[in-house]
Amino acid sequence: MKRLRPSRWNAGQLLQARAASAPLPPRRPFLHQCQLRCLETETSPAETTAIPANMTSSLDGGAGGPSSSRSRISPKLSALHARLSLPKTLPLPTLARALITPSANRDHGANNKSLAVLGVSIINYHVTEYLLCKWPRLPMGVMYQALRGYVGPESLGEMARRWGAEAAHAPGPEVDPGLLQWEPTRIVPGENWGGYLTREELSGFDRRAGDLDVHNGPQKIEQWENHAFASFAQALVGAIYSHSGREAAKQFVESHILSRQLEMGTLFKFVNPLRELSLLCKREGFEAPIARLESETGRMSRTPVFLVGIYSGKEKLGEGAGSSLQMARKKAAMASLKAWYLYSPGNKVRVPSDMFKKGAAKWRAPHIDCGEVIT
Amino acid sequence: MDMRALARPAAELLLKRTPVSIPLITTRSHKTTARTKRSLKIAPHDSFLPSRDGNASQGDHIIYNPPSSEASPFHTPFIFLPPEDPRRQAITRMRAMKGSAQGLVGLGGQTTEKLPPLMNKNEGKKARYHLTPAHMEEMRKLRAEDPLTWTVTALARKFDCSTIIVRTVAPPPKGHLEWLKAKEERRIARYGPAKLKAKAERKMRTEMMYRGEI
Repeated sequence: MKRLRPSRWNAGQLLQARAASAPLPPRRPFLHQCQLRCLETETSPAETTAIPANMTSSLDGGAGGPSSSRSRISPKLSALHARLSLPKTLPLPTLARALITPSANRDHGANNKSLAVLGVSIINYHVTEYLLCKWPRLPMGVMYQALRGYVGPESLGEMARRWGAEAAHAPGPEVDPGLLQWEPTRIVPGENWGGYLTREELSGFDRRAGDLDVHNGPQKIEQWENHAFASFAQALVGAIYSHSGREAAKQFVESHILSRQLEMGTLFKFVNPLRELSLLCKREGFEAPIARLESETGRMSRTPVFLVGIYSGKEKLGEGAGSSLQMARKKAAMASLKAWYLYSPGNKVRVPSDMFKKGAAKWRAPHIDCGEVIT
Repeated sequence: MDMRALARPAAELLLKRTPVSIPLITTRSHKTTARTKRSLKIAPHDSFLPSRDGNASQGDHIIYNPPSSEASPFHTPFIFLPPEDPRRQAITRMRAMKGSAQGLVGLGGQTTEKLPPLMNKNEGKKARYHLTPAHMEEMRKLRAEDPLTWTVTALARKFDCSTIIVRTVAPPPKGHLEWLKAKEERRIARYGPAKLKAKAERKMRTEMMYRGEI
């Protein structure tokens, strides 16, 4: 290995690196900026016209929530607002209200329930249209799992934690308005909503996974906590939508939720891949799939490896390697099915909500598949 | 007991001949740094070096080593692409060009004439439809009379058809499947812990395979 000798570096090298990069802007004083933001949210005339009168009146906390004046001087709240680069039209009292879950305050005029229900609709709308345009052939079960992976309570809860939201030890009117207030108490789902399960309660859970007991809610304390943090994320999207409009909410969802990577290939589980593949080929009018042995090694040994490819006529659909011929064939069939289901028109797909932009190009309908293979 | 008594003098003899301090197998070691370095200097494998082929690109390129072991399902095969997809049109155009079909293995499947051999000889066999209603009636009769002699395999061999047809055409008499299942359960009940564990692990591996984890 060559030794580094900084003493022998000539001055030109060192200077060059600095000259190429842009000069750093002077750092602005944080507190000054924060105060400015608070002042703007309080007295900006543009903002007062933008917010409907009933919304401003409901922003003040109710009996259990923090009052409007307290939320305006909370450094935690201002820091959260600045950290998330939220639009300036979103006032701090609304952010404070998004942090109060229904378990901490039953008063629906003061908790984040209404904002969360709105936010869930916005989030689900954007994520579903993205999934449909990006992966047009996903089976319904995988689609639900992908939806859960993007907007499930676990994902949104984790996201809210990474934003820096912290939970208060116990909810109450005296806690800092910048802290999330929640309590692991049971709320009967239909208590205040006319006996219906809300969409939030239905979308977040997977009934088959056994974590929804309709009458008792989540089972463990971690699930309660995830739901509390997730409701903050949902309520925040609802608040952005109501204060700053459709485009701001879409941008927020895209940059925080849709920007995350979800491994679609790992969500599949097959029951009878060979049968499913032959049914698929029959439905689509392809030639019947035939397994061909591409290569093999150590057939009579302890550790053989077979590489089997599945062909429809002369076209190769997929290949799989396994320690037995049957295993390799099944894996090849699963790879072929995944190749069918994971078709994507491209990395940059257009979604219907892109048409709201001014001067958007003419809409071309995406590829919509006729559905999954029924075995 | 007497075996150990016999072996003991032999072992003592061995111990006396080879003291512990001297290793049994002598190896040549490199006493100096220079020699060690020289002995460890091995040329890299050819696959790490840029290709000496004249056709290979001379600029910056990626060396895949080790090569990717599994084909990605995100590369859609040619026939799975919908008609309006631009990739489909591009591959069709490229295939139409003479002499370029050989280089298209990675781009939407093979178009070469020579295909690999079949995995087993019955693969892709066409249905013959050679069983008549009389055959099926006889098959049903035999199965109902004596399901132990005329098992599914025996019937398939007799009528020269697949076991799937036998299972569909001639279902077993009432209670036979339950009896077979109980027999199987009695057999499994005699398993020891090692066999039970092996069975459970086999089942777990199959499930993992269906989930694409192995």
